[in-house]
Amino acid sequence: MTEPQTVRTETPAIPQPGLAPPAVDGKYVYCIIRLDKPKDFGSVGIGGGQRVYTVHYRDLAAIVSDTPLVIYDPTREHVLAHEFVNETVMREFTVIPMSFGTVFRSEDDVTELLRSTYQAFSDVLDKMQDKIEFGLKVLWEREKVIANLERENDEIRRLKDEISRNIASSTYFARMQLGRLVEAALEGVQSRYVADIHEALKPVAVASRSNKVIGDRMILNAAFLVERTQERAFDDKVKEVSRRYEDLLMFKYTGPWPPYNFVNIKLKLEKAN
Amino acid sequence: MGLLTKLLFFPLTGPVAGIRWSLGKVQRVVEEELVDDAPVKQDLMELQMLLELGDIDDAEYARREAVLMQRLRDVREWRERLGMATAGGPVRVARESHGKE
Repeated sequence: MTEPQTVRTETPAIPQPGLAPPAVDGKYVYCIIRLDKPKDFGSVGIGGGQRVYTVHYRDLAAIVSDTPLVIYDPTREHVLAHEFVNETVMREFTVIPMSFGTVFRSEDDVTELLRSTYQAFSDVLDKMQDKIEFGLKVLWEREKVIANLERENDEIRRLKDEISRNIASSTYFARMQLGRLVEAALEGVQSRYVADIHEALKPVAVASRSNKVIGDRMILNAAFLVERTQERAFDDKVKEVSRRYEDLLMFKYTGPWPPYNFVNIKLKLEKAN
Repeated sequence: MGLLTKLLFFPLTGPVAGIRWSLGKVQRVVEEELVDDAPVKQDLMELQMLLELGDIDDAEYARREAVLMQRLRDVREWRERLGMATAGGPVRVARESHGKE
C-alpha cells in the first residue's frame, strides 16, 4: 500500500438522496469454486436478494453478486445472507469461502484475483475436495459440575463439611482453601472433558482446530474438518459423546460449513477508491 | 532507565516526569482501544451466543447489535483517521508495481 486510502463508510441501507446513483459495478465475492461454465444461483445475494452468479478465469469461478461500493457491517442479516449463499453453493461444490464483506470494484478486479491467486486457489481446492467443516461449542453448567465434584472429591467434601459444621480452626482459611481446591479441580475436569471429546471425534475427522472460547460458560469452541462421506459417522459420534455428558454439558453443534477454519490464503489486496 | 535516573538524582522533577510518563501511557492505551476492533468482535460473538442460548430475544439482540455496529464504525473511522489499514470496503488485488506489501 502506498498512500493512506480512505473508503466511505456509509451503510448500504441508507441511500443518499441527491447524490449520484450508487455504482452497481461492484462485486461482492462469497467464495471460489472449480467450475468452467456460467451458473446462476438465484436471487439470494446480500443487500436484498441480488442475483448470485459466477465470474470465471480458466477452470475457477468466483461466486458474486452486484453491489454498490460500500462497507457491509457484520449485522446478523448481512452475515446470514453471506452464509446462505455459501451454503447453497456448498451443496454442489467444494468451496473456498471468502471472508465476510469482501467487495471488488469491478468484474475485471475479480478476474484479476482469480488470475493472480490461481495456483493457491487450485491447490487448496484439491486439498479441500469433498471436505466440510463442523462447529462444536461445548458449554457447562458450572453449578452442576461443582456439585458433582463435591460428591466425588473426598477432600472437597471433607472441607465443605468442616465449614458447614464450623469445626475448622479457621473457617476463613478453610473457605480459601476450598475455593482454591474447587478451582483447581474445575480446571482439571475441563481439560479432561475437552480431551475426551477430541479423542472421541478424532477418528472421524480429518483435522480439528480449537478457537478462543466465547463467554464464561464455554469450555470448548472447536472446528472439525470432515470428509463428506464421513458426515454421518461424525454426526453419530457427536451425539454419542453428548449423551455421555448429558447432565453436565451442553453441546452446540453446527454445520456443514465451508472450511473457514482450515483455509488460510493470505490475499494481497489493497483498498480501491 | 531514564526515569530511574531522574528519580534518583533529581527528586524534585521526579513526580512531573512520572505524571507525563503515565499520561503518555494512558493516551497510548486509549488510542489502542480506539483502533482495535477485536474486543467489539468478541462482544458480537458473545451476543450471538446469548441469542442462540435463548437468553435474549430478537428485539434485545437488535438493540445491542446496533450499539456494537456503531462501535465498529467508530473504530474504522479512527483507523482511517490515523492512516491505518481497515477491514471491509472495496478492494482490488495489490499491484506488483506498488512494491512489497
